[in-house]
This record gives sequence, structure tokens and C-alpha cells, in this order.
Amino acid sequence: MRRIRSSVGAAALLSLGACNRHQSALSVFGEEAATVRHLTIVMLIGAVIIAAGVAGLMIAAVRAPEGRLTLSGGMRMVGWLGGVLPVVVLLALLLYSLPSMRPLPVGANDLRIAVQGEQFWWRVRYQPPGSPPLLTANEIRIPVGRTVQFDLTAGDVIHSFWIPGLAGKMDMIPGRTNRLVVRATKVGVFRGVCTEFCGLSHALMAFDVVAMEPAAFDAWLANERRPAAPAAGTAPGAQAFAANGCAGCHAIAGTPAAGLIGPDLTHIGSRASLGAGTTRMTREALVRFIKDAPSVKPGARMPAYPQLSREDAQAIAAYLESLK
Amino acid sequence: MKRGFHGMVARLKVTLWSLIVPPTVWAVHFLFSYLWAAIHCAKVGGFPRLPILYAVGTVAALAIILAAGIVAHLQSRVPGDPAPHEESTDSDRIRFLAFSTVLLAALSFVGVVFTAAPVLFLTDCR
Amino acid sequence: MSLHAQDDPALRAAQEERLRAVWKAPQGIFLRWTDCNNNRVGAWYTLTAFGFMLFAGVLALIMRTQLAVPDNDLVSANSFNQLFTLHGSMMMFLFAVPMFEAVSIILLPQLLGARDLPFPRLSAFGYWSFLIGGIFVGGSIFFNAAPDGGWFMYPPLTTRTDLSGLGADIWMLGLSFIEVSSVAAAVELIVGVLKCRPPGMRLNLMPLYAWYILVVAVMILFAFPPLIAGDILFEMERLLNWPFFDVTRGGDPLLWQHLFWIFGHPEVYIVFLPSIALFAMMIPTFAQRHLLGYPWIVLAAVGTAFLSFGLWVHHMFATGLPKISLAFFSAASEAVAIPTGIQIFAFIATLWAGKVKWSTPLLYASGSLAIFVIGGLTGVMVAIAPFDWQAHDTYFVVAHLHYVLIGGTLLPLFGGLYYYWPLITGKKLSDKLGRTAFWMLFVGANLTFFPMHFSGLYGMPRRVFTYPSELGIDYLNLASTMGAYLFALGTLVVCIDLARSPWRPKAVRNPWHAGTLEWLAHPDDEDWGIRSVPLIESRYPIWDQKDFVKKVDEGRFFLPDAEEGRRETIVTTVLDARPLYVVRLGTPSWVPMLTAIALGSVFILTTYHLYWWSLAGAVATLGFVLYWLWTGTAEIPEKPSKPIGHGIELPLYVSGSAAPGWWAMFITMMADATAFSGLVFGYYFFWTVHPEFPPSGPGMDGPGTFWPMVSLGVALLSWGATVGARGTNRRGGVGVARALLVVGIVASLAGIWTGLQGPLTTGLDPELHSYPAIVWTLVIWTTAHAGVGAIMQAYALARSIAGRMTPTHDADIRNITVYQHFMALTAIVTYATIGLFPGVA
Repeated sequence: MRRIRSSVGAAALLSLGACNRHQSALSVFGEEAATVRHLTIVMLIGAVIIAAGVAGLMIAAVRAPEGRLTLSGGMRMVGWLGGVLPVVVLLALLLYSLPSMRPLPVGANDLRIAVQGEQFWWRVRYQPPGSPPLLTANEIRIPVGRTVQFDLTAGDVIHSFWIPGLAGKMDMIPGRTNRLVVRATKVGVFRGVCTEFCGLSHALMAFDVVAMEPAAFDAWLANERRPAAPAAGTAPGAQAFAANGCAGCHAIAGTPAAGLIGPDLTHIGSRASLGAGTTRMTREALVRFIKDAPSVKPGARMPAYPQLSREDAQAIAAYLESLK
Repeated sequence: MKRGFHGMVARLKVTLWSLIVPPTVWAVHFLFSYLWAAIHCAKVGGFPRLPILYAVGTVAALAIILAAGIVAHLQSRVPGDPAPHEESTDSDRIRFLAFSTVLLAALSFVGVVFTAAPVLFLTDCR
Repeated sequence: MSLHAQDDPALRAAQEERLRAVWKAPQGIFLRWTDCNNNRVGAWYTLTAFGFMLFAGVLALIMRTQLAVPDNDLVSANSFNQLFTLHGSMMMFLFAVPMFEAVSIILLPQLLGARDLPFPRLSAFGYWSFLIGGIFVGGSIFFNAAPDGGWFMYPPLTTRTDLSGLGADIWMLGLSFIEVSSVAAAVELIVGVLKCRPPGMRLNLMPLYAWYILVVAVMILFAFPPLIAGDILFEMERLLNWPFFDVTRGGDPLLWQHLFWIFGHPEVYIVFLPSIALFAMMIPTFAQRHLLGYPWIVLAAVGTAFLSFGLWVHHMFATGLPKISLAFFSAASEAVAIPTGIQIFAFIATLWAGKVKWSTPLLYASGSLAIFVIGGLTGVMVAIAPFDWQAHDTYFVVAHLHYVLIGGTLLPLFGGLYYYWPLITGKKLSDKLGRTAFWMLFVGANLTFFPMHFSGLYGMPRRVFTYPSELGIDYLNLASTMGAYLFALGTLVVCIDLARSPWRPKAVRNPWHAGTLEWLAHPDDEDWGIRSVPLIESRYPIWDQKDFVKKVDEGRFFLPDAEEGRRETIVTTVLDARPLYVVRLGTPSWVPMLTAIALGSVFILTTYHLYWWSLAGAVATLGFVLYWLWTGTAEIPEKPSKPIGHGIELPLYVSGSAAPGWWAMFITMMADATAFSGLVFGYYFFWTVHPEFPPSGPGMDGPGTFWPMVSLGVALLSWGATVGARGTNRRGGVGVARALLVVGIVASLAGIWTGLQGPLTTGLDPELHSYPAIVWTLVIWTTAHAGVGAIMQAYALARSIAGRMTPTHDADIRNITVYQHFMALTAIVTYATIGLFPGVA
């Protein structure tokens, strides 16, 4: 217990001055990340001691008068400090770290979330045990205290799935399905990012992570299954959406739009950010993205629509914003 | 008997090739470990409860390294000639190579122990 | 000639006159570039690598400027991706590795008391290749065509032609070309260390720098070829659409990662060990005593070399491999820290035992050790897989690798610059500027990279062209940028110091009072390398051997003369450095440069898909190489032997394993076999990733057993004929030997035809699936080698007919027999794999 408390203290010291609490390996909200943070602190303390020790020895060595150390004394120093001590320390560290490589156990009744990396966004599919899958994009919600397995794949190139506060990263590689098992411990809104260089907008490929109480999560999931319910007065936007061929790439459940090339937009209005974590979800941002996505995200597959009128773009944005 | 053994050891020549026997054994064991795990996971889907093949391979590697180390140790000892051994003589050259082999054997032995440690902790293919 | 004769000053002056004439550098604006003396080529090499380092440093500075503030738009994402790709690639391939080779080309002959390295023209060839390839790769950024896939170029981002452009080809082909020159330099250095040591310098007396160079060059031999194999597969996919990494057709992107990192991790030690080697030379000098624990250092170097090949998967900890596989690599990554620790403590103990003379080079050495220790410790941290899952591909790793490379490569090189500048130019650099620069570099490096540990843990991924302000890492990034500018200023101060050097007075000879051979160099440089090749009785002959410098200078040791007007040095045995023979060295020539240009054109023209032109380049390359070999190697001397002094008479011609040429062939073929094993690894790798392998279906059933077995038989016939020709030639049966060579040529050519029949008759379609693609690749590799084998056999035949190869002078056929041994091995592995394995699997 004291060990944990001291490590928390050291972590607080480390994050001193940093205001970021939602995308940091040091402010954790998952069991895996907590284990690694503990390991980090142990190793950091060890590293500081060793670095200081070596520096001290260097200074002493330079200052020592000639002949202070005999040949056999020197050889003993090389053997014990350079040979035996590192072997012992490193073996201890290895044996200490190996058990934490074991993944969390996962059962058939645990929630599985399939996430597929795309240039430059995330295709998300919830697969709760015993109910049909649910498709969404660019936001991940997980229940606190329950085991969740992510099945990670890639649609085009290699990406890497990293939610620093929750667990270590796992690559998304075409042709493979990698598994990452996590358990959140704290409610809150966090952020994940792509950490494998994947092209022009690699830097703009992030997502929001919301850890919820289990009951709230179940309610959210049920709500998410409902088809889109556009607000009154957004019909012009829906028409413009259809007229400009947006449905060729995007799906909105409950409407004819069923494209699978781009992100699912069924409940886009309820997401906190736009363009896979690129900007806040505002009307202005939506308009800009609709009219000229490549200027917001270089290399994005969605083309610019210079011919689209500002009114139409505004209308589509209003329509999308209302999809909650 | 001992004399005969010593004579036999002395006749084994230390060269650059014998110097790299212990680390080569480490490398072979390492490759063996990697292939053992990769093929079991890709083609079988798991490991036997008691990895006898792996244990035999590891013990064999340790034994060869130990043997190379002992032979080199016996060659590196010439009574009544204190260090340093830095002359341009046959015996100093042999002693240098033999002693370096001893050190490499020690490192390789530790290396094999390090490599084998995970098998005690991780028992499935996840 | 007796010792007595050297007492005559007139004789000495005459000898010096002859030596000077023989070693005279070519003059004139154009001719001077035909030089191949290691002093000159090494200096060009060093300067060029230094220039590329400055260029790549400027690229980094632009990146740091972009990242100084969040959401910056100084450079576009496209430019930024080119910047970081080129920065990493150039620092690794155009600075770190070539710099070590360049420094070694300068230092090694001096350290070994040799007049030059055994293959001076090969050094020149390596340099010109490096220069051409370097300009090709580095210059691409000015055309907005630089590679932009990151320095490890992961497919499918880089193999899909819709997602990547010319840059990927420039990277692959340009750097492959440079890898070839690196392997060439490695061959040169290995043979130099093993065969060109002075008499008496047994293995236990070798300067530690030479030990490290031997180890590192051997590492290059085993590390670079897997990358060359990867490059081949990569370009086959890009240019020919053979799906090695395309999962829709049975490929796997992870194969590239394996091949890349089998190269990439040893690479780290390849660039680190030479710098440690500089420490091993400097520290005894400034402690004024022998280095403590010589065998321990050798252990550490050899041990590191081996262990470093068991680390590659620690760059792939997050790829989802089974945890137990990761754990093996984690364990080896921990173990590799042990030999590193031993080296550091050997240095500390030496300083402790000795009388430390504080100096600028020692300041650099201790400062870089301090930085390196931090990088090493974070290295131990990232070797622990669970920690790496957090730190991998974040700025933590950026911090770690720069601590290692600045502490372990760059600052030691600057220290080496201050230490060895008097050796190369005869002048000392300024202590004042040197120390000012050191503190700027030291503070700058820490200010740049220490905050990155935290920006990484706070969630900043690598290779991002911008970051949002909400991450709360603005001030960390700003600090890094300020540090980068400070570091750049420090480098500028070093450059100013170097630029002022021509106006400084000459220093005294051996200004640091060092004990090792290289300090025999005189401030008024002579091109002959060393006045006479000494007899070595100590690790620090200048300190320990009586009147050593005087005896060398007065030509009282071996080979003090050049009576026949030839460039010469002594070749000795590997273990005990007993004199074996006197080798005649290559003289200035256009051929190395022309060969480099021709070979470079093959790679560069292929980049632009100008295949016919590049074929013409290949033919030209072959022509130049044959001319080079015919006129410049295995020359039958005018007399069988010559005296080298002290009553020792040495032969002027040897063949087989006594000769450097045989070693060069053997070593080159080791590298060749390693590249081949990379391709074979590909075959079995695909077997492990596919439940059904080989797959079945039209275009994928093949190549059968019949043709592979016939091809194997034919290859073994060619091998047997060559071995037989070697034996009969030696016994005087020249006619039979020639007939056997003809049989060998026919068998080799037939081997090409039969080899291709297997996949051809069964209709294997390489664009369909990775299986037919890898089978085709193995077959093409093997038949291409059969073709080269035929050329070699024809060459030996021609040499025999021309009277340049006789029963007593048979180096040519002995060397091509080495090739045929490896060729037979290649054929056995290829044909057994493609012909028999499908039946087993």
C-alpha cells in the first residue's frame, strides 16, 4: 500500500506543470496503464540512482591520484561493478517485468470492440455479447470496471492504436487482427491517437475516449442503436446531403445513406470532435470540413467541394449537428 | 588421468573461431527459442504444459557453453606468471584468447539464462 | 640489408626519395581525383560524411522550428514528412556508418603500421559510390521528391504506388547503392585488420580500435545484407507488382519489418562501437597508462556484436506477436546492456588508476559518456516490453535514441576530431573554441532531448508535423527547439574552429604523448604512410619499445625501400602476425570512379524506370570490373621474392587463404549468403503466416520437383568441375584444367536454363500471390549467381590462356572456387526449398 502511495506521489511530481490529463501515460484510468506507470516509476528511480552513481565514479576517477587503483583492484572493479552488478540488476528487472506482460484474461461474455484504422480515421464496431454489432466512428466509449477486448485491424496501411491513460499501444496491421484487452478504472473523457506513421495526416488522427459507469454505458449503447433522428427544420440539409452524393461514402442509419467508405455519421452530432479528433465539433468547423476537407486534413480521402454553395454547406452542417 | 585431460585440452588450439563458440551457441539457442515459439504459435496454436524440447535445448546450450568455458579456463592458466600478459609471445597470445573465451562463455551463459527466463512466466500464445 | 646499412644517411635519403616517388599523389585538377591513397580518400570520405551530417542537421532544425509552437504551419505536412525521413536516413546511412568507415580508412593503416589498406582502389570505389548515392538521395528534397515514409519505410504505405511516389524508389535504390559501398568498405577493413598487421602484432597486441573495427565490419557483413534482401523484395513489389507485402495477395507487411530491423538494430551498435573505439584510444593516452582490462573490452565488443542480432523484435513490440516471442527479445535487449557496462567501467578504472591529463578530447569523451549513460538507461527501460507499449513511437523514444546517438556517436566523433586533428593535419585545434563548443553542444543536447522524455509520456507521438495546444506540452517543445538551436550553434563553433585551422602553426609530433602506432605520423606529412614497417612487442610501442620512433624513422625495421618502384605493404598471418608475403598495392586509376559511376547509373536509372539504359549501365559496370581485375589483380611478379630487411625474404605472390584476395572473396560471399538467407527467411516466413502453404490453384502449383532437382545436379556439376580444375591446375594439368573450366561454364549456363524451367513450365504467376513471387525470387537469385559464376569461370579460363594464371600462380581459380562453394550451397538451399519443401509441408 505504501508502495502504491509513494508511486502516486512520484507520478504527481512527474506531471507537475503539465495540464494534460486526458492523453498522458502518467494520468491513468486503466489497469494496464497503472501497472506500466508503476513500472516506469520503479525504473526511473533506478535509472537516476545508476546515472548518479556512474557520474560520481567518473568524477572520482578523474580526481584520483595516479596509482590509487592497482591493476588487480581495477580488474575487480570492472568485474564486480561492470559485470556482476548489471547482471543481477537486469535479471531482477526482467523477472519483475515478465509477469506484467501477461494480458488480462478475457471471457466469452466480455464486450468486444472492433476498431479498424483507416487513413486517417477510425472505424468502430461494438460487439456486445448476445446482441447484434453496432457501427460508429472516431469515438470510443467503454464501461468502467468491465473487461473490454479491442480487435484491431487496418483497412489500408499500418496504424497504431494508443490510449495512453488506458493501456499500451497496439499496431493495426493489414491482414492481421491484434487483440488488446483493457479494463478502465475511472470515469472521464480521454483521448487516443495513432502512433504509427500512416501518411500525410498521421498527426491529425486521434479519437475521443469516454469511460462511463456501466449502467450509463448500457443506456448509451441502447440509444446509439436507434436510427438517426434529425431535428425539425433540417430537411434542406438532408436534401443537400443526398443531392451532393454524400451518401456514396457515408452511412446514416434510418436514412438511405449507407456508404461504407467514410466514417459512419449516424450520431455525429453527439461526438465531441470532428475529423478524428482534429477540431472541436462546431458549426463553423463542420462547414469548413464539408467544403474543403483536404485543407483541414492533408491527404484525406474526402475531396474538396468548391462548387458547393455556402448555404448548402451550412444546411448540411446543421443537419449533421442535429444527429444526436 | 588429470594429466591426460590437461594434455588433451592443451592440444585444442584456441583461435578466433574457438573464441566465438560460446556466443554462437547463444545465438543458435536464441534462434531456437524464437523458432520454437513462432512455429508452435503459428502452426500448433499453443505450447505443451511441460516444454521438454525447450528444456533439453536450453540445457544442451548451457552445457556446451560451460564446456567451452572450462576448456578455455584450463588453457588460460599458466602457473607462476602474474598479469599483465601483454607480451608478443605464443603463450600470451594463447592466454589472451583463452581468457577472452572464458569471459565470452560467462556472458553467453548469462545470455542463455536471460533468454530462457520468459518460458517460466508466459505459457500461452497471446 | 643489415641493420648496419641503415646507418648511412645517404642510403636513407635515397630510399626516401624512391618511396616518395612511388607514393607521389597524382597532380592536376582532374588527375588528383584518381588518387586511391588511404590518407587522401579517407579525408574526402570524412569531409563528405561531415557535410551530409550538417545537411541532415539543418533538416532537423527546420523540423524543430515547425514544432516550436503548437498548430504551426511553417512547413506543410508533406514537407515535414520528407524532412524527418531524410534526416533519419541521412544521419544513419550517409553520416554514421560512412563516417566510421571514413575515419577507419584514415586511421587503420597508421594503427597497423601498414603503408595502406590491402585494396586502395576498393576504398576509392566505395567513396565514389557513397558520394553519388548520397547526392542522389539527399538532393531529392530540392525537387520535392524526397522519400517521405519514415526512415524505416514500412509497407504498405510505401509500397502502394497510389500512396507513395518516386521518393520510395529513391530511398530503396539510392540507399541500396550506398549499402553496397558500405559492404565494400567492410571487406576492406576486415582484411586490413586480419592480414595487414605489422610483424609481431599478435591478436593480443592489436590496438583496441582495430578490434572494434574488426567486430563492426563483421557486423556490417551480417546486418546490411538482410536489408538488401528486403530492398530487393520491396522494389520487386513496387516495380513489378510482386505481392510480398500486399495482404490481399498473400503478402505480409511484417516481413519487411523483420528484415529491416534485423539490419536496423545491429546498425545502432555498428554506429556506436566505433565511437567507443575512439574512447579506447583516447583514454589510455590521457590516463598515461595501458588500458585496464584489454580482454574485457574485446569480450564486450564481440559479445555486443552477437547480442545485437537478438534484439530486432524490440522495435516490433507493439505488432501483436505472441508475448513469449516478445519476451525473448526483451531478455536479450536487457542482456546487451551487460557488455556495454563492462566497457564503461573499464574506462573508469583506467582513468582511476592513471594520472589524468585533462584536455579537450577528454572533456568530449566524459561528456558524451554522461549523455550515453542516460540513453543507455532509457534503453534498458524501453527494452521492457510493457513499458515500451507506452513509450514506443512517442517522443520518449526520440529522446532515447538521440541520447544514445549523440552520446554514443556524434560527441565522441567530435572528441575524436579534436584528438586526431593533429594526426591528420599536423595542427592542433583551439582548446578555447573546442571547450566553448563542447558546453554549447552538451547543454544544447540535454535541453533538446531531455524534455522529450516527458512530451512522449504526455502522449506526443513521433513523426507528427504538428500537435494540439491542449496536450500541455507547448513549453516542453519550445525548450527542445531552443536546445536544438544551441546545439546547432555549438556545431557552428566547431566548424569555425576547423575553418581557422589552415592558419595555425604546425604542432609538435605526437602532441598528446600517446603510445600507439598511429602517432608515428609526422606533422610534415609523407604519403608513404610509414617509413618502415616495425616489429611490434607491446600494445603501446611508442611508450614501451626502446628508441621506437627513431628506429622507424631511420628505416631500421622492415621494408624501408621501394627498389622496384612499386607500392607495397607486408601481409602477415591472422593469429600471430608472422610475415607471409609482400603485397603490391593498387595505384591511382580512373577505374574505381568509372565503376562507381556505371554502377550508380544502374540504380539511378532504374529509379526512373529507364530499364534499357540501366541494363547498359550494368554491362558497363561488368566491363569496368573485368578490366579492373584483369589489369590490377593477381599480377605475376617479375621475381618470386624480395628481401624486406633483417635477412627475411618474402614471396611476392601467394594464393589461397594466405592472400588478401581470397579473404575478400570469402568475406564478400559471407555477405552474399546472408542476403540470400534473408530471402529464404521470406519463404519460410510466408509458410508460418499462411495456414495453407504452398497455396493451390492455377498459377500457384509449382515449381514441381523434377526441374529443381535437375538444376541442383547441374549446379553441383559446375561446382565439381571448378574444384577439379583448381586441383589439376595446381598439379600442372593446365589442359585438363581448361577443359574442366569449359565444362563448368557450360554447366553454369545450363543451370540458368534448367533453373528457370521449374517455375516456367508449371506456370507460376508471380503477380498472383506471395508464394509464386518468392519462388521466382529464389530462382532468379540462384540463376543470376550461376550467370556470375559462368563469367568467373570464363575469366579464369581466359587468364589461363593469356598466361596470367599458371600452376604456381593460381590465385584466380582459387578465388573463384570459393565463389563456387557458396554457389553450390545457394543451389542446394534454393532447390531443396522450392523442390522438396512443398512435399513436406
